[in-house]
Amino acid sequence: MNAKAKVSGSVVAGFPSPAEQYLEPPLDLNELLVKRPAATYFVRVQGDSMVGAGISDGDLLVVDRSLRPADGDVIIASVDGDFTVKTYHRDKDGIRLEPANQAYPIIRLRAGQELDYFGKVTACIHRFVGKR
Amino acid sequence: MIGLVDGNNFFVSCERVFNRRLVGRPVAVLSNNDGCCVSRSNEFKALGIPMGTPYFQLKDREASGELSFCSSNYELYGDMSRRIISILREEAVDVEQYSIDEAFIYPPTTAAADYTAYGRRLRAKILRWVGIPCGVGFAPTKTLAKLANHIAKKRPDGVFLMPDDPTEILASLPTNEVWGVGRRLPVKLRAERIITAQQLRDAPDDTIRAVGGVTLLRTAMELRGIPCCDEKDYDATPDTVSCSRSFGTPATTFAAIEESIASFAAQAATKLRRHGLLAAGCNIYAQVFAAGGGGDFVDRTVVFPVPTDATNEMLRAFRPEIPALFTPGLRYRKTGVIFFGLEKPGSPQQLDLFTPDSHSPFPVPRSSSPLYKAVDALNARYGKGKVFSAAEGIGPRPWQMKRAKLSKRPTTRWDELLTVR
Repeated sequence: MNAKAKVSGSVVAGFPSPAEQYLEPPLDLNELLVKRPAATYFVRVQGDSMVGAGISDGDLLVVDRSLRPADGDVIIASVDGDFTVKTYHRDKDGIRLEPANQAYPIIRLRAGQELDYFGKVTACIHRFVGKR
Repeated sequence: MIGLVDGNNFFVSCERVFNRRLVGRPVAVLSNNDGCCVSRSNEFKALGIPMGTPYFQLKDREASGELSFCSSNYELYGDMSRRIISILREEAVDVEQYSIDEAFIYPPTTAAADYTAYGRRLRAKILRWVGIPCGVGFAPTKTLAKLANHIAKKRPDGVFLMPDDPTEILASLPTNEVWGVGRRLPVKLRAERIITAQQLRDAPDDTIRAVGGVTLLRTAMELRGIPCCDEKDYDATPDTVSCSRSFGTPATTFAAIEESIASFAAQAATKLRRHGLLAAGCNIYAQVFAAGGGGDFVDRTVVFPVPTDATNEMLRAFRPEIPALFTPGLRYRKTGVIFFGLEKPGSPQQLDLFTPDSHSPFPVPRSSSPLYKAVDALNARYGKGKVFSAAEGIGPRPWQMKRAKLSKRPTTRWDELLTVR
């Protein structure tokens, strides 16, 4: 049996809580990190190609597909069928995807080759405890 | 004006969002138990392989690398569908979801100036946000919007607005392409010399009524541009909630029958609780295996002491009936559970004077007990089937759906996220 009474805001008897009119919903990380839920996806980082940009192996990235890429953005794209996280650059020579680790090569798009863009990385969640 | 938005080759398109190697290739998604093709890419269709082709007939062409296949990943498709519907809700005045990949929309008045431009914008937004290409058709009625959508899908921009006078278009379509006409009616209609949608629209009401009753007359009215389709027909409370599945290999033991039924009941009960519904009773059934299909059904109907959504109360009620479904020596193809008599808690109902709980002075209908709220929350958080009734069995589950080619569920499972390098 659930003997606990339900507590609701409109109590008629007793003393009203002095805090009641100041009650606000608790902070919600979704509200902070996910502006457009219908366009937001989470992906997991594998490897250290972006370690210089603060993105480490095992980190969780928040990706917004609704945002178009601008020069210097960290983005997710598919290259030869595999998804990669890199910094997007566009200039007169075309599009290139740069790693943030000297051990990895810069990916240059051939002339006429279209970028298979997935979305823009809007946040990186790096956990110190309870990884994965 | 009504719009119909629907995802092109929806299941295949969902798979392609997260597996770019499937883009541009002939791909099909398979039905439950990897049975046959239920969604095909354009490249697959171009090879002339029809919908419903059994997978085993195509295995050689898969091995040679010509074709690709995926098992049905309903978790993924359901989430992608949810995303599309939420975009539509933002952009339209009202949205009625019709199936996992189709929804009727009521455009805002601001769209009236140029429905085609509005449709293109909508389509582009869904493509960018979710990655699914859609067809968008507009017309004054749902039946015409369905036809407009068929035409839209064949156009490069994916959008079509039915002209004010659609006579020419309707004259080019056979009646079986009209929503709701089905397969049998065209034969009867042919006898009345009604072959095209235009002829159906212009036929005398009496003739239409004689062939297909009020339902067909409604369809004809809709073709005339007069909305007759009840708005919330399919949005309403479902009449039944069910769960059934074929065994990967025929079942021969009582345990398999009992545990599969308990497991399906638990799944269907979760569905009930999600809709906030109680069931008055259930039908449990098993189908005997027969080579070449068919096979006799055995079933039992159980009425619960009080309408309920609690799995344990259901199990208690129908378990004594399960032995009646099983004859040793027979092989079974399939089992299932259908709940009926669905109602919202608090709707008028008669209470059984002798039900164990009815000594309560307040006859309160059962609604989700705290126990099952907790069970549903745990299973939602840690994955389907983490918490289950012992009646479902703890051994291997041969009745579980075969999905050998299941892709990851990157939008609903933390441990199956897309990985990026």
